[in-house]
Amino acid sequence: MTGYALLTPSLIGIVVFLLVPIVVVIWLSFQKWDLLAPLTAVGLDNWTNVLTDAAFGNSLLVTLAFVVLVIPVQTALGLFVAVLLNRRLPGSGAFRVIYVVPWVCAPLALGVVWNWIFAPTGGALNALLGTHVPWLSEPALALPAVAAVTIWSQVGYVTLFFVAGLAAIPEQILEAARVDGAGPTRVFWSVTVPLLRPTLFFVLVTSVISSFQVFDTVYALTKGGPQARTDVIAYSIYRTAFTDFNLGQASVMAIVLFAILVVVTLGQQLYFRRRITYDLS
Amino acid sequence: MKRSRFLLAVSVLTVGVLALAGCSAGGGDDDDGGGGSTTVTFRTWDENAAEAYKQSFAEFHEKNPTITVKIDVVPWSDYFTSLRTDVAGGNADDIFWINNSSYGSYASGGKLIDVDKALGAGAKKAWAPSVVAQFTQDDALWGVPQTSDGGIAVYYNKKLLADAGLSESDISHLTWSPNASGDDTLLPVSEKLTKDAAGTTADESGFDPSNITQWGYSAAEDLQAIYLPFIGSNGGTFQKADNSFTFTNPKTEQAFSYIVDLINRYHVSPGAADTNGNGDFTKDQFLQGKIALFQSGLYNLANVAGNAKFEWGVVPLPAGPAGAVSVTNGIVAAGNAHSAHLDATKKVLKWIGSKEGNQFIGATGANLPAVTAAQQTYFDYWKGQGVDVSPFFDVIKDNPTIPAPTGANFNAAGSAYKPILDEVFLGRLPVDKGLAQAQAAANKAMAG
Repeated sequence: MTGYALLTPSLIGIVVFLLVPIVVVIWLSFQKWDLLAPLTAVGLDNWTNVLTDAAFGNSLLVTLAFVVLVIPVQTALGLFVAVLLNRRLPGSGAFRVIYVVPWVCAPLALGVVWNWIFAPTGGALNALLGTHVPWLSEPALALPAVAAVTIWSQVGYVTLFFVAGLAAIPEQILEAARVDGAGPTRVFWSVTVPLLRPTLFFVLVTSVISSFQVFDTVYALTKGGPQARTDVIAYSIYRTAFTDFNLGQASVMAIVLFAILVVVTLGQQLYFRRRITYDLS
Repeated sequence: MKRSRFLLAVSVLTVGVLALAGCSAGGGDDDDGGGGSTTVTFRTWDENAAEAYKQSFAEFHEKNPTITVKIDVVPWSDYFTSLRTDVAGGNADDIFWINNSSYGSYASGGKLIDVDKALGAGAKKAWAPSVVAQFTQDDALWGVPQTSDGGIAVYYNKKLLADAGLSESDISHLTWSPNASGDDTLLPVSEKLTKDAAGTTADESGFDPSNITQWGYSAAEDLQAIYLPFIGSNGGTFQKADNSFTFTNPKTEQAFSYIVDLINRYHVSPGAADTNGNGDFTKDQFLQGKIALFQSGLYNLANVAGNAKFEWGVVPLPAGPAGAVSVTNGIVAAGNAHSAHLDATKKVLKWIGSKEGNQFIGATGANLPAVTAAQQTYFDYWKGQGVDVSPFFDVIKDNPTIPAPTGANFNAAGSAYKPILDEVFLGRLPVDKGLAQAQAAANKAMAG
């Protein structure tokens, strides 16, 4: 009993901020509510409306495309930078800070800056290239542009974890590999990368979840346009709830996103569980 | 990681739900009147107006020492999202500014104080009739009129005009007609005022539309300043009496075609890639001396007066086949029907609906007061600044106007049709096809 009593403070937090909202959102998904008029129960209407809505299907595809654009580049770049920083060359401490700066900055403030960089007239990028490209309103370019900004701001965060992971690899193991005649490439792929798997698992799980939930950058740069090419699911939920004031349908979309994330995360866990077997202690 | 805003939205929603679920609204820490002191909160999106209200409420406090009014400024971009969630969560201010396209659902949801009942049905005689009419629904008035926007007119840059060899008489009676046929002076004047990097104007041969350094006119996807006036001036309509949209009205379609041609065919206005996503683009370019004719409303007057580093003036809205038909749009301060101190709130509403209380926003030049007797303060202020504001008023005085957008689901309709109009203005979707799609999407969203 004492055990449960001691748990109470954190349990309250979990119930109030996690469990209750989840239950409320599930309940809301069967209601029609515009925040002003009284709620009315509508049965499965919200569910059938959302699940048959082509725009919602588009949002799922756009989000998937976004994740596919962001995750490999961001992870590879983060690992690359971490390896460079790990060489402890003079000044690498400063670089470590510089890489994290974009991640520390307020995303909406960054959005304003990138809006200016991408502006067709008077924008920094076009001035630099001597072009007049509408980066954010050209359907083929908008999603890659948003993905690029996301990668730029997230790489430092990913790097941070890889640097910590690399530092935790005992020097003797690397040394032993070299003594056995392994070259730098071989050491990297056969020793360093396998030993980094716990870090990689953590980085992938958190960055996949956050990519599925990308919102700020889209809100600041494209508002879902052009032609709904950047209408990622989190932005679509926000718009449905707080511009269209259709809380019921927004709840359905939130639950679908939640379900997708649970499945994706479980899948990642299954994959990595079989492969992380190293005990370095 | 980067989901703070999303989480915020979700938690706001949660708080709203919790409040509904029984945590009940409001503070209730102080009583109405009586001996204690009461704080009434007041929300607006306009910084300039907030400064004026500060003076107004200081005077109110002197007359009513037991009531203090606290002002909250919430930026326009977030205003209607946070207002709605705050009202739902029982955390809204006692009094808040609200506009014509939003108040309807608050009124029908029972969230607003009925001004006729609170201040008496005779009170409205003191206020601008156009604003009273805009905010009357189900035979009741749902806010105390605060600002009256005047109409739309055209700010112009005197230097750019002179450089092009034009004088004010060339632009003081601008006209336009569909397809720029017949009696159209807006297009030729705008062409003379549009230049590429080599200094070639848009009406000369060799003009390079891919390298424009100065635009003649500010056509853009701007509801209030551009396309509503063009629609009205062509005799078209935007909404029917039942609030459904009429984008495919032939006159409305002609107006849109004309605007889109100004941008994409004649290149006398900035491209939609610049203006669709940035509502301030034309204003900023005008202030930087890169747009010669900037069509806008009084809401930009303080801005232009404060920031233009060149000589400027104001001329009337260009007239179309149906004359110069502008939109005019008022703002009210609505009372929160679930305020914890209704009596004090009503006293403040009465004060800001009086000449004494409302005149400050005129005297500082921030906005035209909606209390008719207080309006002179505004004209006096701008006269003192040497600015003639009559073009903004002549266009709505004794002239027909086109109604401002309205309807309980207007926000949802707007978010449904905007992406389609974006494509039309970018020239990627033909005007007729785009307007048909926009109308269908908007009407579907309007129906809920």
